[in-house]
Amino acid sequence: MSETKEHRKPKEYINPYLGGVLLGLVLLTTIYITGRGLGASGAVKSAVVATVDVVATEHAHNSPYMGQFLSDDEGPMNNWLVFEVLGVIVGAFISGTFAGRLKLTVEHQPKITSKTRLIFAGLGGLLFGIGTQFGRGCTSGTALSGMATLSLAGFIAMLSIFGTAFLLAYFFRKLWI
Amino acid sequence: MKEELFVSGRDIPNIDPFLNIWHWQIPMYLFLGGLAAGILFFASLFTIMGKEKEMPTTVKRATLLVPIALSLGLFFLFLDLKHKLWFWQLYTTIRLESPMSWGAWTLMVITPLSMVWSASYLKELWPAWDWKFKILDDFEKLVIKNRKGLAWAMIILAVILGIYTGILLSAFNARPLWNTSLLGPLFLVSGMSTGAATIMWMAKDKSERLLMSKIDLLLISIELFFIVHLFMGFLASNAVQIEAANLFLGGAFTVSFWGFVVVLGLIVPALLEILELRGYHIPVAIPAGLILFGGMMFRFIMVEAGQITRYLY
Amino acid sequence: MGPLVTQGIIDPAWNNLIALLVGMAFGFILESSGFSSSRKLAGVFYGYDFVVLKVFFTAAITAALGLLLMSSIGMIDLSKIFINPTFLGPGIVGGIIMGFGFIMGGYCPGTSFCGAAIGKIDAIIFTLGMFVGILIFSELFPLYSDFFTSGAMGNILVTDVLGIPAGLFVLLLTIVAVGAFYVTGIIEKRVNNPKS
Repeated sequence: MSETKEHRKPKEYINPYLGGVLLGLVLLTTIYITGRGLGASGAVKSAVVATVDVVATEHAHNSPYMGQFLSDDEGPMNNWLVFEVLGVIVGAFISGTFAGRLKLTVEHQPKITSKTRLIFAGLGGLLFGIGTQFGRGCTSGTALSGMATLSLAGFIAMLSIFGTAFLLAYFFRKLWI
Repeated sequence: MKEELFVSGRDIPNIDPFLNIWHWQIPMYLFLGGLAAGILFFASLFTIMGKEKEMPTTVKRATLLVPIALSLGLFFLFLDLKHKLWFWQLYTTIRLESPMSWGAWTLMVITPLSMVWSASYLKELWPAWDWKFKILDDFEKLVIKNRKGLAWAMIILAVILGIYTGILLSAFNARPLWNTSLLGPLFLVSGMSTGAATIMWMAKDKSERLLMSKIDLLLISIELFFIVHLFMGFLASNAVQIEAANLFLGGAFTVSFWGFVVVLGLIVPALLEILELRGYHIPVAIPAGLILFGGMMFRFIMVEAGQITRYLY
Repeated sequence: MGPLVTQGIIDPAWNNLIALLVGMAFGFILESSGFSSSRKLAGVFYGYDFVVLKVFFTAAITAALGLLLMSSIGMIDLSKIFINPTFLGPGIVGGIIMGFGFIMGGYCPGTSFCGAAIGKIDAIIFTLGMFVGILIFSELFPLYSDFFTSGAMGNILVTDVLGIPAGLFVLLLTIVAVGAFYVTGIIEKRVNNPKS
């Protein structure tokens, strides 16, 4: 069934190995220029810190966790990862335009409703958000970039994220197949 | 009212070493002025070319925004004035050597003209519109008969207005970043580009949108060309201008200028417009919104950065 | 000699602009590879689409090999690059929680931004969920602040732990990856065409 769906799509995805090599080269260039890899969840953390800083400044500065990301001379949104994620959104949009994939939609498998999908997407995001803070980075920042630099943290993150998801796959199969 | 007495030309609060007199009002005013000039330029141009039918949004609907943009801009300018009640004094003199005077007089003429222009299309856009008084009806007929002449007046004034938004800054010779004759044309082109983007956003007809998109692409290329030359000029100039340029080339404004103005405000929308011209589907709000955002950022950055550049040490 | 910014060859003021450009390339490639689709991403856990595994491993190995190569010809000083610090307990717990998030939400943070960029509403909800999750973590931080810094092993490399040279490790990793690509290719065919 997924086969016929693929054929109706406006444009095919690129070859995954080509994508992987290109992604690896981008990662390599990033490390070569800036000395550290890519990331994503850090930008959300900056957004959280910035929002709390605006809504409840005192609370943010007193917070034992958020307080460490606030400084007097630079705003929390003036951050490398925030700009990188802004770029990710722009780049993905351009690619989606090229491929004719721009569409406001809820993507889910036909056997579940949009509502179920959205609830689980929200819950998944919430858990992922918590997990990124314990793990000090997400799939991009810790697992991918960490593996490229051969850091132990990168391999631990990769094995625990994908391992857990594999173990749980059976229980959540109704969401996907 | 507290007036200050200056005994030295140095260390004057808010003037030396850093100018700190202009806040958000001036860049907003420059942005709205440029936008209005851009829309009026295209409306007049296509009227003169006799293309009202093909370009209904450009000539008719978009011009409704112009009086609003101009009044809002003037209101922001008014907010910026220290002695608000002396506003009228700008109009007691004509000084050919003062860009302020030029700008004030251009606005004085172009604002009512743009109001008359858009008012003359109200009936066409809303057939139920009624002027209530016969004298207004007669006046409308007169305007409609003389639209071409009006368009000629407006196109000239629009160009002056667009250039003036940049000249206003470059008249400050003491600020190295602003002291370049490129600012006038650069602000004109940028204003025309924001105007074209607005029309593109409003256009219902595909061929009109694509034509504006093509024009906008051309304007963006000219703007990029000017920006490159602006920096080449600075770098070939004296030490203070090199220092001014360095605010953008590895200084405080590097990211905001190259990231928001050049990449997100010019190159990305240009790329999206090229894709659209090649038949890809893109929600027009995105390139148009990016151009408007980039144009606004450009003015904010130029005003902000210009105030901290200086000649004296 | 790299890293260029750390070594002062490029002024740090350019750093955020580089971030924007690098991010654009990153987003473009992720989206082109299909990472903006949660169903495609989740395929790796059910055997119908291994794109995540393929892209992810190829990228990690390409970058790791590139770093080794650049370091051997003196283009980059590996002692100056950032190595993610290892905190054993929090790292594993975080990974497990992220595993839950992945299988339920179908995205990870980077891919959810790609999905959101092309209009996937579920991806937008996922990012909002992340926002709330990080807020919750931050508010409850005193409860686990000791745990959060426990198991600190410093900026340690996997090769330090295993005691093998980096070149050999990357070689082994590549062999494992190629093997995995071969096996998953077979699984993918079986799952998608059960009859053949």
